[in-house]
Formats: sequence, C-alpha cells, structure tokens
Amino acid sequence: MKKTRKFLLVVVLTALTMFGLTIDAHAAKVPNYVITTDATYPPFDFQDKNNQYTGIDQEILKTIAKREGFTYTLKPMSFNAATQSVSSGQADGVIAGMSITDERKAVFDFGTPYYRSGIGWAVKKGSSIKSLSDLKDQTVAIKTGTSGADYALSIQKKYGFKVTYFNDSDTLYNDVINGNAQATFGDLPVIQYAVKNGTQLKVMNAKSPIQAGWYGFGVQKGKNAQLLKSFNKGFAAIKNDGTYDKIVAKYLGASAATFTGDKKANNSVIGILKANDSAFLKGLWQTLLLTIVAIILASVWGILLGVMGVSQNAGLRGLSTTLIYIFRGLPLMVLAFFIYIGLPSVIGMKIPAFTAGLVTLILNEGAYTGAFVRGGFEAVDRGQMEAARSLGLSYGKSMRKVIVPQGLKIMIPSFINQFIITLKDTSILSAIGILELTQTGSLIVSRNSQGFRVWAIVAVIYLIVITLLTWLSNWVEKRTRA
Amino acid sequence: MTEAQNKVKVHVEKVNKSYGENHVLRDISIDIAANEVVVMIGPSGSGKSTFLRMLNQLETPDNGTIVVDGFDISDKSTDINKVRENIGMVFQNFNLFNNYTVLENIMLAPVELGKMDKAAAEKKARELLDVVNLADKADVSVNSLSGGQKQRIAIARALAMSPDVMLFDEPTSALDPEMVGDVLEVMKNLAGTGMTMIIVTHEMGFAKQVADRVVFFESGKIQESGTPEQIFNAPKNARLQEFLSKIMHA
Ligand SMILES: Nc1ncnc2c1ncn2[C@@H]1O[C@H](COP(=O)(O)OP(=O)(O)OP(=O)(O)O)[C@@H](O)[C@H]1O
Ligand SMILES: [Mg+2]
Repeated sequence: MKKTRKFLLVVVLTALTMFGLTIDAHAAKVPNYVITTDATYPPFDFQDKNNQYTGIDQEILKTIAKREGFTYTLKPMSFNAATQSVSSGQADGVIAGMSITDERKAVFDFGTPYYRSGIGWAVKKGSSIKSLSDLKDQTVAIKTGTSGADYALSIQKKYGFKVTYFNDSDTLYNDVINGNAQATFGDLPVIQYAVKNGTQLKVMNAKSPIQAGWYGFGVQKGKNAQLLKSFNKGFAAIKNDGTYDKIVAKYLGASAATFTGDKKANNSVIGILKANDSAFLKGLWQTLLLTIVAIILASVWGILLGVMGVSQNAGLRGLSTTLIYIFRGLPLMVLAFFIYIGLPSVIGMKIPAFTAGLVTLILNEGAYTGAFVRGGFEAVDRGQMEAARSLGLSYGKSMRKVIVPQGLKIMIPSFINQFIITLKDTSILSAIGILELTQTGSLIVSRNSQGFRVWAIVAVIYLIVITLLTWLSNWVEKRTRA
Repeated sequence: MTEAQNKVKVHVEKVNKSYGENHVLRDISIDIAANEVVVMIGPSGSGKSTFLRMLNQLETPDNGTIVVDGFDISDKSTDINKVRENIGMVFQNFNLFNNYTVLENIMLAPVELGKMDKAAAEKKARELLDVVNLADKADVSVNSLSGGQKQRIAIARALAMSPDVMLFDEPTSALDPEMVGDVLEVMKNLAGTGMTMIIVTHEMGFAKQVADRVVFFESGKIQESGTPEQIFNAPKNARLQEFLSKIMHA
C-alpha cells in the first residue's frame, strides 16, 4: 500500500514538473512568440513525413523569423482553436491560411497580405453535378469557421442545399468522396493541392476563384505590434529577393510525395507504422500521461466530492451535489474549450493546453467519480456508522475506519470503468491541440490520406492500452479482495 | 440496597420526540440506578428503540433532559463521543464491521480511542472472546459467523470499552430460535457482574428471570413499570393487560 502511494506521488510530481518546465521555458532574451496554426491545411500548413510542420505558411514564417531575429513556439491545432487562442490572448500570432475579412479585422491586426486566394468548390470525381443549381437538396460539406463555409452559407438559401460541418479537411474530403456529402467549398489552393495529392475530387472553378481575397498573418487586435512589424519587414524582404516565389512554387508546383513520403511507406500498415513510429510513440505517451495523471487526480477529487456528498454538513453536501451536477452535465469538449480558450481572457493568464486538458479531465471524470463514490458510501449499511459512533468513534474516524474501506470495495468496478472512460476521453482533447494519440492520427492522415490504415492503427493502440489497463485494474481488484 | 445501587446512572426528564406529525415519545421521565437491569416491553412502534437510541444520542430529543453517568447529553456542549465510550450498545442486526476480523472488531475502538495499546487491546479482546465462548473465532471474517455468534461478538465489542451502561435493542429478535439461548446466557452472566443494563426485548422469560424492573411502553408513554412480578402477575394498566394477553397467546 505504501509503495503504491509512493509510486503515484512520483508520477504526479513528474507530470507537474513537466508542465512547470513547459511554462517556464520562455524566459530567453530573444523574443519568443507562441504562434498557432491549423495542423491539417496543406499546402499551407501540414506535417511532413518526418512529422515536422511545413507548408507555405510555415516556410514563410520560418524564413522571416530567422531574418528578423525572433523565435517562436508553434502550436498546431484546429483552425478554430488556432484563431480563438490568439483572439483570447492565449497565443501571440496565428498563421493558418486565414483570409482577411472585415469581421476578422475587428478582432485581429493583420500583417501584409501574403497570399491571394479565393474560394473554390469541388465535387466527387465523376459526379453528375455540373453547376451550383444542381446542388438543390444535396449536402455540402464545409470546414467550421472558414471563408468557404461563410460563402456556402451565404448562397445556401439560393441553391437550396444542406450543410454539414467538419473540423478537419481530410475527414471532410472523405465525406464527399464517400457520397455522404455531394460538394464542398473551401480555399481554392487547398482543394487543388489535395486533388494533386490524389484526393478523388474535381475542382469546378479552377480558373475563377469566388470572392478572391488575401491571406494574412494575424495578432490580437492592439497587441504584439513588434511581432507584426517584424513580420512585415521580413515579408517585404523575401518578396523582393524572390524567396517568397520559390516557397510558393515549391508547394504548388511540387508533387505530393516530396513532402508526404513515398507511396510504398503509405500503402501498408507496416509502412505507415515505420514511417511514423516516433509520432505514434509520442502521441501514445501524451495519451498515457494524460490518462494516468487524470485518473489519479480525478480519483482523489472524486473521493473528496463523494465524502463531501455524505457529510453531516448540509452546506458541503449541497456544494458536492452542485459541482457534480455542473461538471457531469457539461460536455467534455465544451469544458475544454471554456478552460483553454474562454478562461485565459478573463483571468489574464495563459493556460498550457496540456494543463487545460488535464483540468478538464479532472473536473469531468472527478464529477462522475464523485457521484459513484457518494453512492458507494450510501450503499454501506447505516448500522455500520451507528455501531462505530455508539462506541465513541468520531464521525471522521468512523468514516475512515469503517465506511470508506467498505464503500471503496463496493466502488471498485465503477473505478475500473471510469479509468477506461478517462482513457477514451483523452481523445476529445485533441480538439484543443494536445498532440495525443488521436491528434497524431489526424495529422498523419492529413498528410498521407490513408484514413483507413491510420485509424485502424490508432484504434488497435487504444484497444491494447485499454486491455492492459483492464488487466491491471482486475489484478489490483483481486489483491484488495484477498 | 447498597450505596452504589442508589446512585442514579441514567436520568431522563420530560423528554419528547416527534418525527414530523408522529409524536413518538411523550414526556418520558425515568431514573435508572447503577447496577439495575431494566427491561422495556411494548408493542411495535411504541417508541422503545427511539428511547434507547436517545440515551446515546443516536437520536436527539426535541426537548427535555437526559443525564447519563453525570453528563448532561441533552446539552450541546457535552462531548458526546466521550460519553458514548461509557455506553455500550447492542443492535438487533449486530452491525459488526464487515471489513474487519472478529478480533479487529473488538479491538478497533479501544485502540483508535487511545484506551489501550494494541497488545493490551488484543489481550482484552481474547479474554472477552472467552467470556462469550467464541475463543476459536478470533481470526475469522465476521461474515462467516452465525447470527448468534455475531451477536455475542457484538456484545464483546461493546464490553471492550469497559462501559458503565449497556443498551440492548432487541438483541435476539433477528436470531434463529436455537441461537437465542446462547446470547441470553451471556447477557444473564453480564447482569450477574453488576452491569447497568437497559434491554428492549420480547423475551418475557428472560425479563422475569433477570430484570430488576420492567417498563411497559405504549403510544410513546411509559404506561406502567414495576418488578417482574407486578408487571406479569398483577398488571394494572388495561393496555398492558391486553398486550400481555396477546403475547401469551401468540
Ligand atoms: N428515523 C425515523 N424517521 C421517521 N419516523 C421514525 C424514525 N424512527 C422511528 N420512527 C417512527 O417512530 C415510531 C417509534 O419507532 P420505534 O422504532 O422507536 O418503535 P419500537 O417501539 O422500537 O418498535 P419495534 O418494536 O417495531 O422496534 C414509529 O412510528 C416509527 O415509524
Ligand atoms: Mg425497535
């Protein structure tokens, strides 16, 4: 018992130290900015075969940073999270193939527009759809928060189609290819790059982008003037000396395999595993770390909530019921966004994604744990407490010596169940950009378009971990019963 | 009567208790002397358990005074845990701690409350197991015991705190008939040692044999009390007469 406690303590401390280190790492003299990006937006932003972030945006940014003498920490996440992180002050700048619009100008200050783009629309190769009017009663897949989505919505009434939303380009394309949706609207270069990459779509307006407009690098309005200045200065320079044109040509002119790895590596499960072993391992480690720390802290918090829930003090009981009600009621993803994106603008402090994710898990899983812990204590026969009290033991001693040990035994199956749910719930935190197993899968798929194989690999890894976790739990359960 | 017997152990004065509309105890007053064995009888729902549980504050009275062992337990500032150390209670359903062995059940309170160190507590526990004739059960789990054995362990557990007063709430009601005798035997021996005992029971034979006084509860009131001869052979109260005739014919 003592040994396990010590072990848990070490795990928790290690984890906490790690957050501490990531928080303090920016104390250098050269300005270091936190830049967010959309992790799955080729050719502007995506991971190459070495799991490095690359693309037109990334090369522009890297070149400018080198020239202008600043460093940055890149935070890849979903497009929405990327922009909201900056508008809420969580991050300093965003470069994510973001179109400059009047609406966004209200929230962001943009650097010199760096790429002229426009909206394109595409259908499945071989589709019978010829024009926008053929979209009547069909479904159009759009990516949340993009100009393509805005445009599609603006003409939705006129052409009478339905829309379905996605956070990730690759899933979106597959939806069209599989026929769940019949068309998609998005940034023209992005769709063209995907098509060049072998995505089975046909671009309908390659020559005439709709609402042609510019991409911009954005910072929170009124903040980070220095960063913006550096960006503009550097951009003017690379535009003049031809570096910019080279970068664009490299991505729009090159074949996909240059960046995404050769066919052989992508056409078999083994090949994908080999090509991405370090990415999978890193993702798995993040998932495990999140799970283990969350399981421990959520259990502690949940037991506390449960003890409060059966307390003699009506105020504590009420508090416990309220906390359980709130955090069990909130969808995990809403809670994660609230903590990661909503809270920092109020408390004026950045919250690292990992910490935000961990707190989310603790609050949510802790609430479920609290509910079954309270139930477990209530399931212990009332006579046990009366007998303990009648001997002169205080309420606290009676709880510790008699009720809690019996209650915990009743709760063991619920705990095991909750551990497994916690492991699975970590995947939801990919939404705030934590590079855990699921997010790792998304990134790899966005590069190699091997959805079936990659997701099968990810699924099997989860099953293996869940099996191990179940074995471990059952072993612990047997030992406590003996 | 010796002087010690004159001493009042339990003093109850004008105690009332209601559960909502249900007025369960009405103006109860009674004094119980040291070394006295009092048996409480009465129909179901008459308030016997409520009365007994009030003597160690498992229930709180709405008003009135309860003094046990010189401590006014109806006074909020009294440390009830200290008072409870001197009042043993035995429940109808035994309530042995399921997460401990027999020996641990008996040792728990003395050790946790700092009355004895572990070694002394174990020695005492084994002595008590001898007293209740269950020395061979020291290390078994309580769930493997029969009802009669459980109740005798429960008595030993209460005695481990060396209480001055023992409360019994229908200690044999949940037992198979053949187990009842063993438990009553232990209680009879305990009465012989001079323990102050307050016992709720339907065992009229036991009451006749062991009780110094029998108290008849009905509708939340003490309707009549007296020696076993007075209560069983010459009941005055009409409800008591009716109650006795019912149980004699049962
Ligand atoms: N916690 C409680 N809440 C509400 N009513 C209660 C509670 N405890 C007891 N009562 C009620 O108080 C009355 C007296 O109950 P009590 O248990 O004292 O009777 P009793 O004489 O011990 O009966 P029995 O012989 O059945 O054990 C009953 O009407 C019972 O329903
Ligand atoms: Mg009763």
